[in-house]
Amino acid sequence: MILASMILILSIGLFLFYLQATCQKILARKFDQEYFQSIVDANRLEFPFVRKALEEFDTPVDYPWICMTLKCDYLALTYLLKNAANAEQSYSREERLLMLYFRAIFGALCTLHFLKLHEKPAVLKLTAILQHFADVIGYRVNKVRFGNLSASDYLLTL
Amino acid sequence: MIETLVQHGIQYGVYLAEVGLFLYLVLWGHCKRLAGVSLYVAGLLTIDTIARPRVLALYGFTSPQYFYFFYVTDAILALSAFLLVCSFFRRASVERREMWQSLRLVLVSVFIIVVGISCVSLKMNYTNLFGRFTTEFEQNLYFTCLVLNTVLYILIQHVQVADDELELLVCGMGIQFAGPAANFALMYLTPGSHFFMSVMQYVGPLCTLGMLGLCFYAVRIPKAARARAREARRLGNAAVRRA
Repeated sequence: MILASMILILSIGLFLFYLQATCQKILARKFDQEYFQSIVDANRLEFPFVRKALEEFDTPVDYPWICMTLKCDYLALTYLLKNAANAEQSYSREERLLMLYFRAIFGALCTLHFLKLHEKPAVLKLTAILQHFADVIGYRVNKVRFGNLSASDYLLTL
Repeated sequence: MIETLVQHGIQYGVYLAEVGLFLYLVLWGHCKRLAGVSLYVAGLLTIDTIARPRVLALYGFTSPQYFYFFYVTDAILALSAFLLVCSFFRRASVERREMWQSLRLVLVSVFIIVVGISCVSLKMNYTNLFGRFTTEFEQNLYFTCLVLNTVLYILIQHVQVADDELELLVCGMGIQFAGPAANFALMYLTPGSHFFMSVMQYVGPLCTLGMLGLCFYAVRIPKAARARAREARRLGNAAVRRA
């Protein structure tokens, strides 16, 4: 009975661990340049400021502002993922998995806040997911060409 | 009605994924490079899409023949997954010969112990296979494989193997082992519960689907990325040797 209980707890723990490791592996994908910056500037996304505030200035977590900011950025980026330079107008499987991962960490962040525990690592993970989404959108937009110009070059000529 | 539809949907999804991954490995020429994965997927395909439906059609879902066949083939698949994890150990330590030589002995010993204990316990409980024994046996077998897989994951992180494909394959096997191990443990703790018995019909195929999806994603990592990983591994090893 005790052995079965231990196996149950450890197996559930390891199942979640492997899911998390898979998501982190997808997030670790390197892009050949920082595509996310143009998307952040064009859409006035705020997650880089959240990350900068936490990493560089080590400010205490302003929970309501961070929640609102990350949620808004998430909604904007998931909309763009589906509709910007995406001929299929749907999410890929890895995007769906990362969206689930974002929601799970967001839920964990609420729990951490409720229990008054350290929230910073969860917030940094959320910003990493948002940056990945922005990178994917930027990469796709960059591939769209207007004559000999890429999308960003085209915008500069206007 | 809806439950049956969902079950069939998941089951046919698994069949499609198995056939798709196997064809992808064969037609895109990954068979030689990923011989272990190809053999495992071929075994899974043969048992899951050909043998089990045939036995089910011949004897019916509630027959003892189907029960025995299902659990014996499940144990065979778990043992072949064990061997696949061993092949991943070899891949992780391909440039560290001393480590592989000591690992090989440990893995062979563990495999012999697992097979030996499995055979002995099956023989001792031959008349009691319909009871809780089967659940306990499967739970222990899957958990042993899960522990071995986790040791491999820790090893990959420890020796810093720059192989994204291998890491994703190991994560896939972890999901494949962890889900059923937890479910068998739950079935063992709640004997006679039809709810957990019916949950098992979803957990197993869903975990297999997750594992196949991850394998497909891992195999599709572009050649350039794999070459970068190999180069990083080579440079890392050179630095270790210099040190």
